[in-house]
Amino acid sequence: MTPPPADVVPLPAAAAPTLPDLWPPVKIRRGFWGFLRRNPTIAIGGALLLIMLFIAVFAPYLGTVDPTTLNTPRRTRAPSAEAWFGTDMLGRDIYSRVLYGARVSLTVGFAVAILASVAGLTIGLVSGMVRWADGLIMRVMDGLMSIPSILLAIALMALTRGSIGNVVLAITIAEIPRVSRLVRGVVLSLREQPYVDAAVAAGTRTPMIILRHILPNTLAPMTVQATYICASAMIVEAILSFIGAGVPPIIPSWGNIMADGRALWQAKPFIVFFPAIFLSITVLAVNLLGDGLRDALDPRLAKAL
Amino acid sequence: MFSFLVRRILATIPVVVIVALFVFSLLFIAPGDPAAVIAGDQATPEQVERIRESLGLDRPFLVQFSEWAWRLMHADLGRSIFTNLPVTTMIAQRIEPTLSLMLITLLFSIFVAVPVGVLAAWKAGTIIDRIIMGFAVLGFSVPVFVVGYLLAYVVALELEWLPVQGYTPIARGVWPWLENLILPAIALGFVYIALIARITRATMLEVLQQDYIRTARAKGLAQTPILFIHALKNASVPIVTVIGIGVALLIGGAVVTESVFAIPGLGRLTVDAILRRDYPVIQGIVLLFSFVYVLVNLGVDLIYTLIDPRIRY
Amino acid sequence: MDRRTFLKISAGASAFAASGGIAAPAIAQGAAAKTLRFVPQANLANFDPIWGTQYVVRNASVMVWDTLYGFDENLQPQRQMVEAEETSDDGLIWTFKLRSGLKFHDGEPVLAKDVVASLARWSARDSMGLMIKAIQQELVAVDDRTVKWTLKKPFPKMLLALGKNSTPMAFIMPERVAKTDPFKQIEEYVGSGPMRFAKAEWVPGAKAVFEKFDGYQPRQEKASWLAGGKNMLVERIEWVVMPDPATASAALQNGEVDWWENPITDLVPILKKNRNIAVDIADPLGNIGSFRMNHLHPPFNDVKVRRAVLMALDQEEYMRALVGDDNNVWKPVPGYFTPGTPLYTEEGGEVLKGKRDIAAAKKLLSESSYKGEPVTCVVAQDQPITKAMGDVTAELLKRLGMNVDFVATDWGTTGQRRAQKSPPGQGGWGMFHTWHAGADCVNPAVYTAVRATGDTAWFGWPNIPSVETEVAAWFEAKNLDEEKAAIARLNKAGLENVIYAPTGFFMGYQAWRKNVSGIVKGPIPFPWGVSKTA
Repeated sequence: MTPPPADVVPLPAAAAPTLPDLWPPVKIRRGFWGFLRRNPTIAIGGALLLIMLFIAVFAPYLGTVDPTTLNTPRRTRAPSAEAWFGTDMLGRDIYSRVLYGARVSLTVGFAVAILASVAGLTIGLVSGMVRWADGLIMRVMDGLMSIPSILLAIALMALTRGSIGNVVLAITIAEIPRVSRLVRGVVLSLREQPYVDAAVAAGTRTPMIILRHILPNTLAPMTVQATYICASAMIVEAILSFIGAGVPPIIPSWGNIMADGRALWQAKPFIVFFPAIFLSITVLAVNLLGDGLRDALDPRLAKAL
Repeated sequence: MFSFLVRRILATIPVVVIVALFVFSLLFIAPGDPAAVIAGDQATPEQVERIRESLGLDRPFLVQFSEWAWRLMHADLGRSIFTNLPVTTMIAQRIEPTLSLMLITLLFSIFVAVPVGVLAAWKAGTIIDRIIMGFAVLGFSVPVFVVGYLLAYVVALELEWLPVQGYTPIARGVWPWLENLILPAIALGFVYIALIARITRATMLEVLQQDYIRTARAKGLAQTPILFIHALKNASVPIVTVIGIGVALLIGGAVVTESVFAIPGLGRLTVDAILRRDYPVIQGIVLLFSFVYVLVNLGVDLIYTLIDPRIRY
Repeated sequence: MDRRTFLKISAGASAFAASGGIAAPAIAQGAAAKTLRFVPQANLANFDPIWGTQYVVRNASVMVWDTLYGFDENLQPQRQMVEAEETSDDGLIWTFKLRSGLKFHDGEPVLAKDVVASLARWSARDSMGLMIKAIQQELVAVDDRTVKWTLKKPFPKMLLALGKNSTPMAFIMPERVAKTDPFKQIEEYVGSGPMRFAKAEWVPGAKAVFEKFDGYQPRQEKASWLAGGKNMLVERIEWVVMPDPATASAALQNGEVDWWENPITDLVPILKKNRNIAVDIADPLGNIGSFRMNHLHPPFNDVKVRRAVLMALDQEEYMRALVGDDNNVWKPVPGYFTPGTPLYTEEGGEVLKGKRDIAAAKKLLSESSYKGEPVTCVVAQDQPITKAMGDVTAELLKRLGMNVDFVATDWGTTGQRRAQKSPPGQGGWGMFHTWHAGADCVNPAVYTAVRATGDTAWFGWPNIPSVETEVAAWFEAKNLDEEKAAIARLNKAGLENVIYAPTGFFMGYQAWRKNVSGIVKGPIPFPWGVSKTA
């Protein structure tokens, strides 16, 4: 670069004419509340979910009684002052069962989301990084995916006795293939990136490559996927209970409260109604959260997820 | 193209084999004894054992598996433990209702969801968009059987517009056939519509930003041709993908819907068979489902070539 | 596809739809009055009443096959296919003469050799049949219409065995069908009864169809349960399987089905309110609910523990869980025999009567050998009856201060698990729930569950010699008074040692549309005499 010729007179510092503002400057709200205002879906979804979590954790203090106490002479009573949501076929208080049921449904949802994500991540990573294993693993995942997940879950539940752990395990196994496909997709596309090539050339060992380059890129789609899995798991739990292959009725879950009351829904609709509302709100909340996260983290994901 | 087809079909064989192996071993190690259920309440352990022997359930795993695999290659799916009918007959009896339900649901969902999704994309950001997307999220938040019961109660029982349950084969008339399928299709389709509407909106949004759309508008084309001919065609690939993946969802949801509306289809057959440990039936149906899923995926890939000439195999 | 083609196709489709829509109702009108659509208690998954002993199979079989004798409403065996019978003076030789003109569905006459083959197959599976087989000398067809059964010892309850309604019933099938191994299913459904089974229309799990057999010769007497003339007043019966009670209820209200075998009690008020539906008790013999304790292993091998449970057991609690507020359909049963039958007794039943004394029960428990080990309680979740009872039991044990290991499973697994004699910790069980049809609890001959022969007894394996002495006494009894005395002693001994825990006596309802008439109360939904107006 040549220095400017000595005889060029530098212009005075730019003194742009001050024009009136046509529009008032947009105040970019920073921080937490600003984030929420820009992403109302995250706000609404998050708020509803927090309410449900609160209910689940503080159920014993919210005016409930023991959800397993029977009182068969007072079965199927409509909602009243003593039983806010009525009583079920064995006289148990539905309000208490619904509130305690939040624990089971939320536990199942979160547990499945976390377990399926971790397992899917591992399998997807292995599949993406280790070429000879890729073919075999993807065939197995394809096989699992070709069985509709509900049927797979029912079949797995038929192997064991009903318990929360087994329900979580069954649904997790049904959800793993999708996560592993997703992760594998990301890994495969990232592997070709120049900066990964550079890292390999520089001699970085594989675990470091995974940690520094690949994992961070999987986080966004995986988080979004995890919320969808959570929502789906809660619905699958309800359907498993509906079919009779879910959590044993001694432990109330929204699914099995509805399953218990399904035969009577025409006579006593409140037995199915209240858990259905709570389940729908929770699943809605999680879905909204997922949508909001997806839009906030990477709008391009809308096409893939 | 032909070689692509052949390669694809060959590639699916290992998948199906793995599924078969998985399903067979799954139920083999399951507790619960079909012989005990068949023998009935008053049977003695010796009688149960004799029934088990006569069904061949006491032989080792490999023996049972190889025999089953051998028969499979001759397109013989064996006989149901409970009804003693050939599994192929049982499946044939119940495939029409399930296929009908899925077909009507598929058509109904696509014809509702795609226009709705296009509308939401066109009016993106407005209140219409928010309402439509709100309903979409609601669609897969409410469990299928709740929707089913509500529809049955309101439409069938109170208003008496449609029957509550059952299935009429198409041979008895198209309207009676449809009558029985409308409510179940709506219940089952809720989730599917939500999914398709969302993906339609998402891809349409992206396509609508493209230059060629702006050109079309500048040329003075009316909105409808722009939306449906230019934009939608380009957006179709992901939509068709989701439709394909959603078929698995439909099969799963059919299980519940068939139960609520007493439709004698494969979904109910499968659940009954699983809960009763009727191994041959379960294996036969799961194999069928995998096969269907694979076919659907193949079909989806072929449809891609129709929609997008750039995709070639 | 271009627009014109699309329009052409849709025009054709709508025309087709219109024609299909118009054609169907006209045909339906005439046929409808002759078709009875029935919702059975369960799915008809298989159709061999000797091989598979579920109640639903028996209920379908009574339409398709006939028996030599049949119970009337007083539980007395009456002649059905038999014209006359003769016993030799020493009681060792039974001779049966068949009515003339009896035919199978394929047009062949019913011959003595068919009866011989059928009885041979039946006696290989039925408990009373096995008793007869054990003392059998020979069973032959003397001529085309005469059967002779020679025994080594007298068996006074022969007619009861041949006419009873508990499974398996002694159905008469063609010889070639009856020659099938009793442990394998039959594949041909040619029968001797008033209805033919339309195998081509059978969709297991969904539908079963029965058509009137015109060649059936009903008896002249009035029909009374399984006795008398089985006159069919409809041409066709369709069994529509509906696993979801809410759907069945809606279908009955809508007129899509005509008769529902067992509506659940909670839905009965809605059905009663409907002007087109009639509701009544289904079976006056009802059911006895039960849970059985494992006499082989701790804690229930100690009679004190069993008695403590009985002391704390509240039958009202159990029954309310099953039938709700309806007091018409349940009764306490302080014993093992069906209320309303000749042998019913309350002898020894004080332990189950009156206000529950939990303190005394706990005291008895503390004096027993119970050390606080968990009780493996197996509960099938897919049967509403066991599901409801299981929850009540868990509560009962908790009240007593016992530890419960609640195993929620399905009916199939229950069937397998209860057959295990291993200790509870090793795949065995401590208690499981079930129920028995009242018709099967009327006397010790049909009542496997009340026998206490130890290892060869029913699951739970109670070993109570005093009970078995009375069973033998009943078999030897010469008249009703002697029978009653034996049963009273049996009841007392049974409750003292707790063969099993009876949770109460309950009945179910049946519901039908008012344009159907001729439905009677009974242990089986009898289709003869039932007619329908359009």
